[in-house]
Amino acid sequence: MNDDNKINNNKSTKETIIETEVAMGVVHPAALEPYRVRLFVEDEIVKDAEITIGVNHRGIERIMEGLPVEKANSLTEKVCGICSNSHIWNSVMVAEKGLGIEVPDRAQYIRVIMGELERLHSHFLYLAHGNEVLGHETFSMRLFYIRETVMELLRMIGGNRVQYGAPIIGGVRPRCELNSKRIQKIKEGMDFVEEKAINFADRFVSDPMIMSRITGVGVISRKDALRLAASGPTLRATGVARDLRTDMECYDPFDFDVITQDDGDVKSNLLVRVLEIFESVKIIRQALKDLPEGRITNRSWEMADTPIIKSYIEVPRGTLYHSYRIEEGRTRNVIIRTPSMSNIGAMEHACIGNHITDAQLAIVQCDPCFTCTDRAIKIIEL
Amino acid sequence: MSVSTTIITSVLAVIGTLIVAFFVSLWLPGIERKFVHARIQQRVGPPLSSPGFMAPIKFFFKETIIPNSPMPRLYNALPLIGLLSIFLILLFTIPQMYFLGALTTVIAIVGLLKIEEVIYMFMGVLSRSVLSMGMPFPDVVKGAKHPNAKRSFLEELSSLRAFRLIAFGSFPIYITLFIPVAMAKSLYLSEIVAYQQINGPILFTIAGILGTIVFFMGSMILLNEYPFAILKTKADVIEGPLMEYAAKSRAYIYITRGFLIFVLASLYVTLFLGIPPNILDPFFLVTVGTAIIFPILMAILSAFSPIFTFKQFYPVVAGTSIIGILGIIAAFI
Repeated sequence: MNDDNKINNNKSTKETIIETEVAMGVVHPAALEPYRVRLFVEDEIVKDAEITIGVNHRGIERIMEGLPVEKANSLTEKVCGICSNSHIWNSVMVAEKGLGIEVPDRAQYIRVIMGELERLHSHFLYLAHGNEVLGHETFSMRLFYIRETVMELLRMIGGNRVQYGAPIIGGVRPRCELNSKRIQKIKEGMDFVEEKAINFADRFVSDPMIMSRITGVGVISRKDALRLAASGPTLRATGVARDLRTDMECYDPFDFDVITQDDGDVKSNLLVRVLEIFESVKIIRQALKDLPEGRITNRSWEMADTPIIKSYIEVPRGTLYHSYRIEEGRTRNVIIRTPSMSNIGAMEHACIGNHITDAQLAIVQCDPCFTCTDRAIKIIEL
Repeated sequence: MSVSTTIITSVLAVIGTLIVAFFVSLWLPGIERKFVHARIQQRVGPPLSSPGFMAPIKFFFKETIIPNSPMPRLYNALPLIGLLSIFLILLFTIPQMYFLGALTTVIAIVGLLKIEEVIYMFMGVLSRSVLSMGMPFPDVVKGAKHPNAKRSFLEELSSLRAFRLIAFGSFPIYITLFIPVAMAKSLYLSEIVAYQQINGPILFTIAGILGTIVFFMGSMILLNEYPFAILKTKADVIEGPLMEYAAKSRAYIYITRGFLIFVLASLYVTLFLGIPPNILDPFFLVTVGTAIIFPILMAILSAFSPIFTFKQFYPVVAGTSIIGILGIIAAFI
């Protein structure tokens, strides 16, 4: 037996005796991404859980080290295939904050529109994946069908279905300008999405079998969510009305509600996202209606050295953190923390006490995005 | 007609019925996937021949690999045993085989169906997939939780679930098989068929209607069809007991599934309509039609429901069994 095992054996002497361990992953069809969950079960009921990530480490922060700021910003878009716009938005905000760059109003509105379109497609993806894990393929397919409209709008504006990030330092990319034709298409898209989302929500909440599968499953109490530092819709599903969009200056002109649910179970998590879809549609409509005239990029700024600047924004899955300092036009000490990093504790906690078939559902309810999270390195001292 | 002609005709009828049943069964998974699931889900879906016909052919020509199993030969033999038991069910329901006596009773059918169920338990015990425990991961040495916990394979969970299904999941279908027995007051298929030829199909009685509902639900459980697919749910155990099957063995799995759909439909038509499978009888088309309707109805139900855990499974089985018992009571009245 090696030293590591000896240490673990000593640690476990006072631990509860576990009947058996069932490990899922790092490759598993219920998980869209590579992660490993060890479930400690008794008679198919999960008594404890442990999630391990780290098999998709790409070292983006290390690659960003020493790159020109503009290049480093566009690299952040590659962190996530779902929140690509959010990453570049936050990264650009770090530079703008550090260099004191003023962003034109029109550009801010376009950023908000892109951010909310991203939230829509992320929430639809979440709902579709949730239904797939529930075993309801039909709902899953139909949700992907609705999401397709949003994806096409993102492609229209950003030129790509995955890497469609609009922000650049001082504004948005020229191709993301919204002319009257594009505005009309977005409006039509929002009408379609809203109508279909209402139909889905009605059908979903009135299905007794689905309600039986998701009610009271994967419960995270408000106290536990705060203790485990959960963020985003996962936190709001426990009744905590915390949404960083209310603190973001660019969202000041818009009227929207912070959606909360009380139960912290799978049902609450799903419903929070469903209701947030309608809020996003509302914000996009307001932005299109009041879209200011003017330029979309502020070119009058100069590069300078800055101390470490931190920026937090609300993205579809929770709170996203970016920080770096600028030295001779290059990024240094880059740190990115995705929402899933702070939600892992909640995911593990949500599994406990549920049937093993519901374990993946309890994890998925927190909307994990582990591939994006696999950048940070945490050294554990044994 | 001479005795030799009768024998030859009977042999041809039996062989012909089995061959036609086999070819019809190859299309049933395709009907289920293409015309129902795909249409409901607004997608193109696979070609009609793909799931039941082309997939087995493809797997027959794949390289045979040794499964991760403590007894690979037995593990690979199990699908063939399952196929054989289903084949025998169809064989014993063909009227030309009624001379076999006790083998053509409802009890024999129940026994053969039981083999099909028990096989899943053995499959689960004998499968050791790389997806569950075999995949190396260094988490145990990194200060992980409960490093000394005994590790289980995903298939072991499936095996336990198969055991539970044997204990309670198959109640509905076995109960409903005894409704025709109660009405005809005989265990013999020949007498159940004869009873219906005199008194009309059991389906058109209250007991028959209740029995039909229960038979349908029971068939879905026996076929591990969604939402009753807890044995092989993708949310945890993935393919469950079937995980390690590849090449020819997987082809047998696909063939068995299609064939079981046909056999259950044929069994229903025999017991509740009084029409045994016989290629020489024009009413054989009723059996074929029912075999096509069966997967369509099952696919509709499965397309609109999430997978059941035991929390949903127990009440559904209990409720369906109660309906079955009411059917038996109605049969005696």
